[in-house]
Amino acid sequence: MTVIQEPPGREYRPAEPQLFEIVPGPRPHGLVKYLTSTDHKQIGINYMVTAFIGFLFAGLLAEGIRTQLIVPNNNFVTENVFNQLFTMHGTIMLFVFLGPFGFAGLGNYFVPLMIGAPDMAFPRFNALSYWIYLGGFILMSAGFLTNNGAANFGWFGYAPLTSAIHSPGPGADLWIVGIALTGFSGIFTAVNIISTIFTLRAPGMVMFRMPIFVWNQMVTMFLILLAFPVLTAAMALLWIDRHLNGRFYDQTHGGQPILWQNLFWFFGHPEVYILALPYFGVVTEVLATNSKKPVFGYKGMIGATLSIGALSMGVWAHHMYTTGAVLLPFFAALSLLIAVPTGIKFFNWIGTMWRGTITLNTAMLYSIGFLTMFLFGGITGVMLAQPVLDFQLHNTYFVVGHFHYVMFGGSTFAGFAAIYHWFPKITGRKLHEGWGKLSFAIMYIGFNLTFFPMHPLGLRGMPRRIETYNAHMGWNFLNLLSSVGAYVLAMGVLITVWNIFRSYRKGEIAGDNPWDGQTLEWACSSPPPDHNFESLPPIRSERPVWDANHPDQLTEVGHR
Amino acid sequence: MKVEWRTVLGASVFLGATALLYWALVYAHGHPTEAAGITALVFSFAAYFMLFGYLVLQYIKRRRIPRPEDRFDATQADGAGEVGWFPAASIWPAGMGLGMVIGAVGAVWGVWYLIVGGIIFVGAVIGFVAEVEAEPE
Repeated sequence: MTVIQEPPGREYRPAEPQLFEIVPGPRPHGLVKYLTSTDHKQIGINYMVTAFIGFLFAGLLAEGIRTQLIVPNNNFVTENVFNQLFTMHGTIMLFVFLGPFGFAGLGNYFVPLMIGAPDMAFPRFNALSYWIYLGGFILMSAGFLTNNGAANFGWFGYAPLTSAIHSPGPGADLWIVGIALTGFSGIFTAVNIISTIFTLRAPGMVMFRMPIFVWNQMVTMFLILLAFPVLTAAMALLWIDRHLNGRFYDQTHGGQPILWQNLFWFFGHPEVYILALPYFGVVTEVLATNSKKPVFGYKGMIGATLSIGALSMGVWAHHMYTTGAVLLPFFAALSLLIAVPTGIKFFNWIGTMWRGTITLNTAMLYSIGFLTMFLFGGITGVMLAQPVLDFQLHNTYFVVGHFHYVMFGGSTFAGFAAIYHWFPKITGRKLHEGWGKLSFAIMYIGFNLTFFPMHPLGLRGMPRRIETYNAHMGWNFLNLLSSVGAYVLAMGVLITVWNIFRSYRKGEIAGDNPWDGQTLEWACSSPPPDHNFESLPPIRSERPVWDANHPDQLTEVGHR
Repeated sequence: MKVEWRTVLGASVFLGATALLYWALVYAHGHPTEAAGITALVFSFAAYFMLFGYLVLQYIKRRRIPRPEDRFDATQADGAGEVGWFPAASIWPAGMGLGMVIGAVGAVWGVWYLIVGGIIFVGAVIGFVAEVEAEPE
């Protein structure tokens, strides 16, 4: 039986029945704890730390790319190494950092806490999914240690570049195996979190009282269940092509390279939403908490999430307009339609802040940064969804700029908001606000300096993935600007890394509910005890902790 | 349970409708080579229809009586009792993961890794099952 200190001002604690039996037995520490824990919180921390290491590693690769492109005719790295840099940058950022940090790290840690569950539905299965994720990360990075280097055909690995003739050596195989393993890990996590949400909610926590974060996680998991198996199948076919003389993607023997593109993007476009939806949830929670208001348009928000998820299954070929083998009107129409639910989300986010009592702490700043940057990326996305424009801009730096505005300015900024918002819950100590704000300011400037010049570069015709360029193309200044921005951006990120190290040891003690939070994770101590809750506040709205702490301002329940 | 199965049914119906619409449009525009997307959409529809079927069967099996987490007025007392068994720690998931990862290396450097990984995996599964058997119900 763990002893929990009574926090002040909680009338709902006593006289509630015990929710579950706490398992007696030794509690391991240190490395053994890391190896054996099946606690969703420990696994969530493992995921977040591993993913963040992946982020720093892939960020380093990105600095290599920008250093090579800083001046024309540069010889910082060879062509082959440059190709490896951008391939592994994309692969690690998407498969190791952005996805797993959001749906596996934050999902594992906060979904059970937010719905009042003692743990995940399948705790040991959960641990297994972390271990194969870690194995996948190690294997795909191990490509750098082999003779021919890591995979070098771009993160979407178009056939026939991936064939045994064009990409010999184990680097490409390690890439295949690594992605397949992280894919399995994603599927396991998805099964686990959906089961948890469907069966382990606390009494009174009906579906339409779950925080938006949990709804977004659920839709993300539904997308993972559809997308990752297709990717794994595509990888298996590729492996058969490379090792067993298969002909699936080999045009000279009756195969179809376009089959790879269809399969990959059938995974790839839902994947973009898998990388975005958890972070939409983060931003919703941070904005609502720091505006001291309930989420504006709660049901509209859920409907928007569900429609984004549904529509994203029918837009995969908008990455393939220029192949000439896809149905342009169908994919253009569905792609443009996604702007509608995303727009609803934007209005609801602004509506949540509207007339609220806004606290501009670091998490809030990152969330507002997310709103501006993601809006920009979303609008360039709507531009690219139109075939007439896409034929001009396909495969240029405009697409790179668009993608980074969505994935870095959008999701990663929200990821940093999550770090600043929930670090007190995870460790019991606050991150330093001053360093946090400095980090945000530098990242915001550096980010725009890095990725905004990519749009005019693309309009001036610079193709993506070229390792150098001639001085007379008119690209020199913009590339210089972009590379300098990349160094500034890295500095901003490093400040947060230092802030985490510093605050982990001597940060300000946070208490259980430092931000006057609304959702259930703020009802348990910081860090939460084993199996989370001794007792729960009554759940009568979508923000039970707020209702318990502010009986004079109960949430109006108008949306049943 | 109602919201759950309705959500899954909605996703399934949407995917089925999209598959039909896409198939009709592809057929009308004469892109006979595009079979991958239609297949994937039909299977997605089937996957969610299956999940819907499972959930709705559970719902009927409970005689449509809402669980405490489905009731707007439920209190903590309604959820009292054993929720489930949640193990504190276990080494076997890490063993299974190690076996799977070593086995996966077999796809890169040859079948010997697969054998080693397979042995570790099976050993870990045996340990896992023994651990589960020893637990109280």
